[in-house]
Amino acid sequence: MDLTPIWLTLKLAAITTVILLIIGLPLAYWLSKGRSIAKIILEAIITMPLVLPPSVLGFYLLMAFSPKHGIGEWLHNAFDIQMVFSFKGLVLASVIYSMPFMIGPIKSALQQLPLSLSQASYTLGKSERETFIKILLPNIRASVLTAAILTFAHTLGEFGVVLMIGGNIPGVTRVASIAVYDSVENMDYTSANAYSLILFCITFIMVISVFVFNKYKAKSPLE
Amino acid sequence: MKIKTPIIFALLFLFTTVTSFAQELKVAVAANLQGVIKVLGKDFKQKTGIDIQPIVGSSGNLSTQIKNGAPFDMFLSADMSFPESLAKEGFSTKEPAIYAYGSLIICSAQNIGFENWERLLLSGRIKKIAIANPAIAPYGKAAEESLKLKGVLGDIQSKIVTGESISQVNTYITTGTVDVGFTTRALVKDAEGKTAIYWKEIDPKSYTPIKQGMIILKQSKEIANAQKFYDYMLSPAAKTILKEYGYGV
Repeated sequence: MDLTPIWLTLKLAAITTVILLIIGLPLAYWLSKGRSIAKIILEAIITMPLVLPPSVLGFYLLMAFSPKHGIGEWLHNAFDIQMVFSFKGLVLASVIYSMPFMIGPIKSALQQLPLSLSQASYTLGKSERETFIKILLPNIRASVLTAAILTFAHTLGEFGVVLMIGGNIPGVTRVASIAVYDSVENMDYTSANAYSLILFCITFIMVISVFVFNKYKAKSPLE
Repeated sequence: MKIKTPIIFALLFLFTTVTSFAQELKVAVAANLQGVIKVLGKDFKQKTGIDIQPIVGSSGNLSTQIKNGAPFDMFLSADMSFPESLAKEGFSTKEPAIYAYGSLIICSAQNIGFENWERLLLSGRIKKIAIANPAIAPYGKAAEESLKLKGVLGDIQSKIVTGESISQVNTYITTGTVDVGFTTRALVKDAEGKTAIYWKEIDPKSYTPIKQGMIILKQSKEIANAQKFYDYMLSPAAKTILKEYGYGV
């Protein structure tokens, strides 16, 4: 059996998780502080992929990044970058698609921290940045870990968007979920079963670890 | 955090390193060819050393993907109209060529007897009939034409299940999800030794001949190799294999 799709899926999930950690932490922090119309709208947009049919996202990405018009044409002509039917495109789609799984848990964990924690730090002369990295983050590390695992797992489960903008290209965009579909279409049930079983096991382990990490969640020292 | 950052970047670097492949062609292949393309690919590799990477789908979907910039080198369609329209829009190096004629069968996982299949479809014994989506799959269009000509299409409309491509129809048939389906004659060979199917050829006069055309895509970076596969598809060696799978050549 060809293991490339599994490897490709893990690679996609890992890259997506790292990118979302980098943009998700500051974004979740910003969203957790107070409320404004801009924040509500942005949070709604971030959360929408949870409920929006993946085909809608896939369709708009296909339209936006087709080398025939708009942004896609500009990217293609100016930088020779092609987003649709490429691995880059899958990364972009996964980042959008999995963002709520990263932002959600981190934001609510930050909101649950007592306000006095950061205030004490400011009183002692620490900057906002230092307070976030040294005081707040260590206190929510279980939630960050949960968010990262969920993001990773959710990217493994991506199917509809990839089907629309990936094009099922072996070694480039044929991720494991697509390989299952493709094997079934080819009446190759042995491969379909093998891919499915691997995905089943990985997902099972991920979900179990979310439960375990949440059980030993660090409690705030001031609670 | 500080110690972890370099590790993360090292990982990112490792993940984004592009693996380069040996000589290979990415060929968009109509779903009816999913079995025979493997045999053709193997034979072609033996002769030239060039790998064929088939990307299987319905002709309509593949054609949309090509229009939106999918990086394929060649397109083997299930009809002439998709490659013709691609050629007209400047996606192809030249006019499409016919490499095979497809034939349509009615098929089931149970031995239900197809002597008088028009009446069988109308009977209560048949609950679900699979055809490929006529808009994007030429074999679906042929099935629809044939059913219309026999005058049963209107009466069985509520029993029809539409597959996204002929391979989805094949899945429905071989798993017994539908009672009967209309599919490619190539399924008979594909299913050999895997699963038992019962079938009958549909009168070729009842549908427009399924001329299967191919093109080399202009945006391909492997045009010379694609030309080799193009020539191979028209060679006696390929024709012998296609004939084995029930295609007219």
